[in-house]
This record gives sequence, C-alpha cells and structure tokens, in this order.
Amino acid sequence: MKSDRRDEDLFDETRLRRALRLEAAELPPRIDVAAIAARVRADRPAFAAASLVSALFAGIAAAGLVGLVAAALPAVAPAVASDLFTAVIRMLTRVAVPASGLLSLAEQPAVPIAAIALLAVAIVHEYKLRREPVREVTS
Amino acid sequence: MAASAALRIDLPMARMASPVTFADGVREHQDEVYGVALRITGDREAALDVASSTFLKAYRAFDRYDQTRPLRHWLLRIATNESITYVRKRGRELRRRVEVEQATTLADPTALPDAESVAREDRARIRTAVSLLPELYRVVIVLRYFNDLSVDEIAHVTKRPASTVGVQLLRGRALLRSALEGGR
Repeated sequence: MKSDRRDEDLFDETRLRRALRLEAAELPPRIDVAAIAARVRADRPAFAAASLVSALFAGIAAAGLVGLVAAALPAVAPAVASDLFTAVIRMLTRVAVPASGLLSLAEQPAVPIAAIALLAVAIVHEYKLRREPVREVTS
Repeated sequence: MAASAALRIDLPMARMASPVTFADGVREHQDEVYGVALRITGDREAALDVASSTFLKAYRAFDRYDQTRPLRHWLLRIATNESITYVRKRGRELRRRVEVEQATTLADPTALPDAESVAREDRARIRTAVSLLPELYRVVIVLRYFNDLSVDEIAHVTKRPASTVGVQLLRGRALLRSALEGGR
C-alpha cells in the first residue's frame, strides 16, 4: 500500500518535471547585458531625482510632525500631567487602605514579635546543637 | 573586443576577489529565470518582462549581493517575487481560470491520438493545472519541479520555513493530482 503510494508520487513527480521543462520553442531571446547596463545608466538621473524628491518629502513630513508635536505639547501637557497625578493619587489611596491595617498591626506592643523572635532563635540553636555530633562523626 | 572591455568596466563588480560577474550570471541563469517566470505567470510576454526586470534589479543591486551565497538562488528569489507581483497586479488568476476551463472543453476531437500528441496534451494539461494552483503552492511547485530546488533551497529562496515549504509541496501536489483526475 505504502509502496503504491510512493510509486504514484514518483510518477507524478516525473510527469511534473517533464511537463514543466522548457521546450525548444519556448526558449527566450538572449538577454543583452549591455542593454541592461545602458538602461540603468539612462534611468539613473531620474532614479536619483525620485530618491531626492522622496527624501525631501519624508524630511518635510517628519519636520511637520515634530513641529506639530512641539506645538501641541504645551497645550496638552497640563491636562496629561493632571490626569497622571489624579491616577497616581487614586492608586496610592487604594493601596493605603489595606496598608494602614498592616502598619497598625506592626505598631502593636512588641511582645508577640519578641516571643516569635525568641522562638526562632531557640529553634535555630536547637538545630545547630543537633547537627554538631553528626559533623564530629563524619570528620 | 573593445565593446566587451567597456562592458566589463561598466558592469558592477561586487568584490574584487569574486570571479562571478553580472554578465556570467545572466548568461548562466537567464533561461531558468525566464522559465520560472513563465511557469508562475503562465504568460510568455509577462515572463519576458519579469525576466528583464529581474536582471535590471539584480544589476542595480549587484554591489550589495552577498557573494558567499549562490547567485542562482538570489536571481530566483528576485524572479519569483517579480512574478508574484506581476500576477497580483494584473489580477490574472480569475480570468485565466475561465480561459482554461474553456480550453479544456475545446480539445480538438479530430486530432490524431499518436504518442506525441498524447504527450503534448498531457504536458499542456499539467501546465494548465499548475497555472491554476493558488499562488502559494504554484511557486513552490515550480521551484521544486522546474528549477529542481530542494526543500531547503526553496525555503531560502521564498524565505519560508522549510517545514512550511514541505507542507505546501504536499498540498500543491495533492491539488494538482485532484485537478488532473477531475479533468479526465
């Protein structure tokens, strides 16, 4: 089954190659390299002029755009700055509400924190003590 | 002799170390460039236009051409792009579809069915089917079966991933097969 498929593919490929090949009657007239060179030489001034015009046009357009932005910026800047300021304040307010709760918790008398710290130190100390004999044995 | 010397001076030389000149490239690849244009556009006049604009563009850009890469692929890439541009610009696809459908029904019934004419008819049918393929598949089919490029080379010429080219070749062949079987 698979080999049938492969044969069919090969047949198609051979047929395709043969069919697409250029026949003698289809061969094009020889291309004249000198004519191409002459044409490029003849086109060159027009091409250069077109490039110059397009570069000039692009330059003017860019300058216009920069000018427009420069003119519009002073008019728009206060409004933009005000919006930005409002957004920042709104965000700070939103963050401040939950943050104030956390801060007030942190300002509570330091007993629980001290107790937690003590517990942590005790655990570390205990851990170190337990590791000592192991180190001795291995060394 | 003097003319050829002048030509050599006028032609852009990409690198002094490179032995390939533009004239060599034209001489060696003009049939292939014309052929790929003919098979993609399906029009002799268009193929001549495409071939000449390909060499014109190549001449202009020859100084910038990377000589470490094969000239053939570079020329085929330009020719392929030019052909695609031509086909798109002229919007020929739809018109040709109608023309070919008419042509398939206009086969001469009095023609002798000798081996030569059968083979010619078969070639014509395949070329027609290729010219009716969507441009995406037609380009890879032509580069594969007319120019004999490998999948990787087609990928390089068309700037498509090799896996995509492989899939497009399969799909193009399947479309061709169904078109040819449908035309029987």
